[in-house]
Amino acid sequence: MIMEETKKKILEYDALVVGGGIAGGESALNLANLGYQVLLVEKDLTIGGKMIMLSKVFPTLDCAACITTPKVSEIARHKNITILTGAEVKKINKLGEHRFEVDVLQKPRYVHVADCTGCQLCEDVCPVSVSDQYQYGMVGRKAAYIPFSIASPRAAAIDIENCTLCGACERACPTKCIDFTQTEEEYLVKARSVVVATGFNLFDPLKIPRYGYGRFKNIITSMQMERQLAPTRPFNTILRPGDGKLPDNIAYVLCTGSRDKSVGNPICSQVCCMYSIKQAQLLMGALPMADITIYYLHIRAFGKGFNEFYAQAQDMGVEFIKGKVGKISEKENGNLILRYEDIEAGVVKEAEHDMVVLSVGILPNQGIADVFENEKLELDPFNFVQQSDMLASPAKTSIDGVFVAGTASGPMDIPDSILSGGAASAETTSYLRRGTL
Amino acid sequence: MARINPEFSDELKKYGAFDANACYNCGNCTAVCTLSDEDNSFPRKMVRYSVLGLEGEIQASLDPWLCYYCGECSTTCPREANPGELMMSLRRWLTAQYDWTGFSGLLYKSLGASVTGFLVLALAVIAFGFSMDFRMADLLHYGHYFEMGAIALVASVILLPNIIHMWYQTVRKPGTEAGLKTYFTCLRDLLVHMFTQKRALGCDDNQFRWFEHFILVLGYLSLLFTTVFLDWFSTQSMFIIVLGYFESAVIFVVTFDFVRRRIQKDHEISKHSHSSDWFFVVWLFLMGLFSFLVRLFIDLNVLQQNMWLFMLQLIVLVQWALLIVPFGKWTHFLYRSFAMYFQEIKLAAN
Repeated sequence: MIMEETKKKILEYDALVVGGGIAGGESALNLANLGYQVLLVEKDLTIGGKMIMLSKVFPTLDCAACITTPKVSEIARHKNITILTGAEVKKINKLGEHRFEVDVLQKPRYVHVADCTGCQLCEDVCPVSVSDQYQYGMVGRKAAYIPFSIASPRAAAIDIENCTLCGACERACPTKCIDFTQTEEEYLVKARSVVVATGFNLFDPLKIPRYGYGRFKNIITSMQMERQLAPTRPFNTILRPGDGKLPDNIAYVLCTGSRDKSVGNPICSQVCCMYSIKQAQLLMGALPMADITIYYLHIRAFGKGFNEFYAQAQDMGVEFIKGKVGKISEKENGNLILRYEDIEAGVVKEAEHDMVVLSVGILPNQGIADVFENEKLELDPFNFVQQSDMLASPAKTSIDGVFVAGTASGPMDIPDSILSGGAASAETTSYLRRGTL
Repeated sequence: MARINPEFSDELKKYGAFDANACYNCGNCTAVCTLSDEDNSFPRKMVRYSVLGLEGEIQASLDPWLCYYCGECSTTCPREANPGELMMSLRRWLTAQYDWTGFSGLLYKSLGASVTGFLVLALAVIAFGFSMDFRMADLLHYGHYFEMGAIALVASVILLPNIIHMWYQTVRKPGTEAGLKTYFTCLRDLLVHMFTQKRALGCDDNQFRWFEHFILVLGYLSLLFTTVFLDWFSTQSMFIIVLGYFESAVIFVVTFDFVRRRIQKDHEISKHSHSSDWFFVVWLFLMGLFSFLVRLFIDLNVLQQNMWLFMLQLIVLVQWALLIVPFGKWTHFLYRSFAMYFQEIKLAAN
């Protein structure tokens, strides 16, 4: 299938799936199971998206990794799926029905993935320590590193920007898979259909300076708490980052960067209420003596079993206070003072907590619209991919033959993302078969 | 029994408010407000009252006067419901409620009525000038008398009854029982807030704005004293002449900065200007400037040939004294300080 051109490698596939998270993975898997040849392009070093980083899922409290990892392995091993990690789609041109021409650029990993056994000896000898993005900055990692233990592929990568080129990893590697001569790889992909599953970005709470994130050490984001609660967690317990104390009075600030016109995101992120309630329940298990308070505007528990899950948290003793936190200040001992209006009482109040979790919202992962060159991929007013026929064909976009899956089309939870991935694969199939029946 | 006015939101828009219905009652505005405390948690409660049309609750509340408008609630409002400007509109609305003559409401709601009022007074002054044949000595003389008469009249017929009305609405009617002694001991707060506006220092990053406002108030009050009681325009005392120059210069320099900010809209508080705001700052600026020039012309001995300047000064003065002071934004000087006074009395009584 791979033909050598002058420089670009030419690949041909029935479907190009952009994004290897749970929605893109689901689409790819369904298409591959139907016999289509699928190319999955993922810009990160591992597939699995955000879900593989999570602790448990609501409202069943199933282990997120236990759902994701088998699926990820299935995708990785499927004979009809080719995965390019560390790769980005740069250009998509639609030449005609079933004819897309796509430029893909793969960054060098400096490791031959096929030869890497994941022994981590390179990690041991690497002298460079930097902040670990997969643990959301709470711990460090080496410049030669395996992203995380359940990554797929579970292979080392060299962080060339921080690497000192000392060569220690190269010498330590038992299979000699480290190769500093690797360069960028360009591919020209001829695809018959495209699935956009580019996911979402998390809101950056630095944009709300009055919450003090980044200045006050004991304020973390919900994703950081998610990592602390996950099986592959950094500390093996829950610690507040400022001084390593076990927190016993944790506050959640809902709608951080959601439903907030002043930060440019007026819509509900749909998952923050539920994941915060989930984390509160998990924290009550992890720290049985801790008090958990959730500051909310309105609890949106609309899905199957969600409201019962909310009631369960209340029964477990999670305190729910209606009122948006206006500002946060820090005490000398690292505790935090939250100022809010208790809406039930109509009175402004201050409360002290020893750790604060900002339940950050979902933002569009912009940029995918720019790679479409001769036809325009329409975005909705909030910069998610526009669903051109949302009720009848939710995966359709403004371009015939380009389908959208998961949170690329708007905030949604995991079951909805998987459903959406399924819908995208079904619509892709019907597009691929158009004219053949 | 609470009375609901379903038209209240629309009514308030005439006073400059935006769509308060956008509010989803998160309380962010109250929580970010540095002046809000357990005794007076605002502005969300006022937004809620406004949306529901609870006029009686708003009339009984001092909260709108306790807000010194830093604008933080508006810039951080997740619904862009603009609570800061709502509080400003409520202050205008309350001013109209306190005013027994009904002129305040008319002037706030109708720009046409305001312009007509200003024109009528201007024509009256010009007619008066004609009847005096524009004789400088007479005009100066009557101008001085007008000032004294206007102060006495406006204070006794309009402002005093309105303050009593405000007291009735906010203290008496809600059932505050306070002894005379409380009224007496709290007088200190009235004076302190009237002359220092020190509560405004509680707003975030507000030191310079407070300082400007503070010297403007001092400049204005002392110029009033200098012209009315020290007869600045006719005095021979070098000290009083220089003092008057200084005071009027303070007024037009500071108000020039206020006007500049309202044009440039570089701060939240200067982004939204109601016609009453423009009248207030521009007329204060003109008063300072014209007073300064009139005295300058007198000292240069050229006023006689330039009676137009004195007529302009007189027109601005009359409009100021008969429209802006009794019915316009000037009243915030009284209502703000009396609100602090009444608030202290209410706290002491409970």
